[in-house]
Amino acid sequence: MVRKPSRRVTEVVVLSTAMLTFISFGRAAAIVICDMASTAWYVGGIALQAVGPAAPWFILAVMLFSTCVLALYMEGSSMFVRGGVYKVVKEAMGGTLAKVSVSALMFDYVLTGAISSVSAGQYVAGLLNSVFPLAHVEWRLDPALFSCVFALAAVGYFWRQNIVGIEESSDKALKIVRATAVMGAIVTGFCLVTCARRGFTWPTTTLSFSPEALGWLAGSDWPRKVGALGLLIAFGHAFLGMSGVETLAQVYREMEAPKLKNLKRAVVVIFLFSFILTTSVTFFAVSIIPEGERARYYDNLIAGLAMFVDGPHWLRLVLQAFVVLVGAAILCGAVNTAIVGSNGVLNRMAEDGVMPDWFRYLHPRFGTTHRMINLVVALQVLTILLCRGDVYVLGEAYAFGLIWSLVFNAGSVVLLRFKSQFEREWMVPFNWKVGGRPMPIGLLFIFLTLLSVGLINLLTKKVATVFGAAFAAGFFVLFLAAERFNRGKARDQHREKLNLCNEATVDDVLKHMDKPNRVLVAVRDPGGLHHLSKALDDLDEETTELVVLYCHVQHGMSFGGDIESLGPEEEHLFTRVVEVAEKSGKSVTPLVVVSNDPFYAIAQSAQAVGAGEVVLGISGRVSIEDQLERLAMTWGALQKTDLTPVTFRVIHRNGAETEVPL
Amino acid sequence: MPPKEGNPSRDIPATKSPPVKTGAARVAAKVIRVSSLLSEDNVSIAASAADKNAVLETVVKGLCQRKGLGAPQPFLDKVLEREKGISTTLDTGLSLPHARMDGLADIVASVTVIPGGLADPGQPDLTIRVMFLFFSPNKPEFFQMHLQLLHRVSVLLKGALLDQVTKASTPAEVLELIRKAEK
Repeated sequence: MVRKPSRRVTEVVVLSTAMLTFISFGRAAAIVICDMASTAWYVGGIALQAVGPAAPWFILAVMLFSTCVLALYMEGSSMFVRGGVYKVVKEAMGGTLAKVSVSALMFDYVLTGAISSVSAGQYVAGLLNSVFPLAHVEWRLDPALFSCVFALAAVGYFWRQNIVGIEESSDKALKIVRATAVMGAIVTGFCLVTCARRGFTWPTTTLSFSPEALGWLAGSDWPRKVGALGLLIAFGHAFLGMSGVETLAQVYREMEAPKLKNLKRAVVVIFLFSFILTTSVTFFAVSIIPEGERARYYDNLIAGLAMFVDGPHWLRLVLQAFVVLVGAAILCGAVNTAIVGSNGVLNRMAEDGVMPDWFRYLHPRFGTTHRMINLVVALQVLTILLCRGDVYVLGEAYAFGLIWSLVFNAGSVVLLRFKSQFEREWMVPFNWKVGGRPMPIGLLFIFLTLLSVGLINLLTKKVATVFGAAFAAGFFVLFLAAERFNRGKARDQHREKLNLCNEATVDDVLKHMDKPNRVLVAVRDPGGLHHLSKALDDLDEETTELVVLYCHVQHGMSFGGDIESLGPEEEHLFTRVVEVAEKSGKSVTPLVVVSNDPFYAIAQSAQAVGAGEVVLGISGRVSIEDQLERLAMTWGALQKTDLTPVTFRVIHRNGAETEVPL
Repeated sequence: MPPKEGNPSRDIPATKSPPVKTGAARVAAKVIRVSSLLSEDNVSIAASAADKNAVLETVVKGLCQRKGLGAPQPFLDKVLEREKGISTTLDTGLSLPHARMDGLADIVASVTVIPGGLADPGQPDLTIRVMFLFFSPNKPEFFQMHLQLLHRVSVLLKGALLDQVTKASTPAEVLELIRKAEK
């Protein structure tokens, strides 16, 4: 009797990770805007308290300067897809200073969550206290207590959203930004009508610092004697209007193709939105809210603006309610941004072996790094409880992390200009030749400005200096200890964490796909994924699903049981696959199958998913002709009907291609 | 002989390659009729076969003689060299030994039915029941046809047809079964 042997796929595993989810530039911009533009709700009040009625000019200056900082981040992102301050500083200055910069940045992120949610609570408390008397309710909320409770609820909500995944939270951010745009347009309309009737008053340019605003320089005559010093101090007090830029680097990894073009679009959207909203409301607030009333609204300045525009009282109340609702939403969005950004930064550190591997385990259901999210959220909750609803204290402390992480980042990008091994797709402009050598004048200007603001803030912002330095030092010690603890266990190279979903048959993989066309790319060598890059470049992502197949060859005819985990070589391979997909900004469906014949595995999997194209790289061991011959044979042997056309495409390392339609 | 980089059907330099719309429907290539390559002369039934290489030697000699291809040794050497590479035997019971030859004007093929089965030396767990041997011209324009023939034969000679061919008692019957299947 003739024995019927089997060359078939026996086990099928679909790999999943949140790292393969890509978002549009609009969604990416929305995440950053939720932080940057949300500062409009509190930066005006804080700056007015610190530097007096001249504050809008300094907010204008800071918002204009934000173009420089956004440009700085564009250059960093164009060098490293998984970039941000940690990666950039590490490449330029080494691991220790990278940990210092991230420690400062973590302080920024933790305080962003706290100040945004507490500020939102202040706005809501203010509204409710305005509405209760009209509804004949004799309650009066304690704004500090209420804002603490509100902040905890907001942080809890976005904690859950981030555990579920980025697509969920970027969707919320987009909705919030749309609502904010509508609110901004309506408030601006009311303000323009009011100014047309009453006239517009430009703010004074004379600085009047509060004693707290001068910090350790209080009592000194220097800020008055040296005009530039005073300007710099005032600039430093308005600097938190720029919060959230680091998140741009963190979301760049998740930005869909074409990546750099989308990054530029996102930067333009972020700048225009934040600049127009933050600057205009502050100028209008100073012009429209009477000087004697202004102090009452330092914690909810836009709500105050709504109450002083022209219009019937009920309409102004409605406008205030709208401002508060949108403000609460965008401020809560900033909580989300802080979680997204800090999760990204901690991921970069964990990939580098600085954080214990335990932090990188993915959520079994959602594939997110939930333990890192938990850590950040726990620190935000602690800060909310400690600040007891005081926005000014949070605002004063806040700028430390932001400014120092930016100083390190800018210094590193300057240094990297002189270490030219990194390919840049985009550079900060103004690169002039000085003595025959290209000098990054634009970058140096950004770095020196940031350094000056950082140094002056150290002297003038006591709370920020003391608490920021203590927190950053604490985090730095924690990172050092974790790195030491992890040293023996850390792998030489970063390995992506992937969730494994075992499927009964190859056909079951179809349920993971929803696009009409499919391309299957067979991979084997982590160092030879040029064909995957090319296939991704050519991929029409709207209509076509790209399946990346790795065949785990197991000799013999009987093997069974689910694949519980990937081996080190497979982990390395799929880490590279994720990196290539990230660089292109296009999604792939990674698939591992077990078979005793890789060509059967390729043919069987490609037919099961209905692939119209099979892409192969050049194998170092086997000739292209032999590979294509074996694939054509196995394709025919497995084909149920010979009517479905398929193209085999071999991509050479030099980019040349061989296409054979069957 | 090392594989030639220039052999495949379309070698497109990366810089000149047209944009490839991946996943888009493509025009199916012209279907090769396997039966058009065969005649009763080129179909044999090997009642007793013990060694794949011996069967190959016999079939190559017969094919070269009948098609007037000249000395069989270069053909045999080429097909044996190819056999050392990735397997040409499928688990359907079909073996597809082949080679691309310089100086050949067109594709030549033969079918050998092995009713008793023959173990494949490279994969002893596989049993060869039908051997489809062919040579194609070693020219870039023939490579696509070469692959399409491999594909077409493996689509055709499997399952029920392969069982029927194995049970056929004469070359004419084998040929008729293939012709019918291709209709």
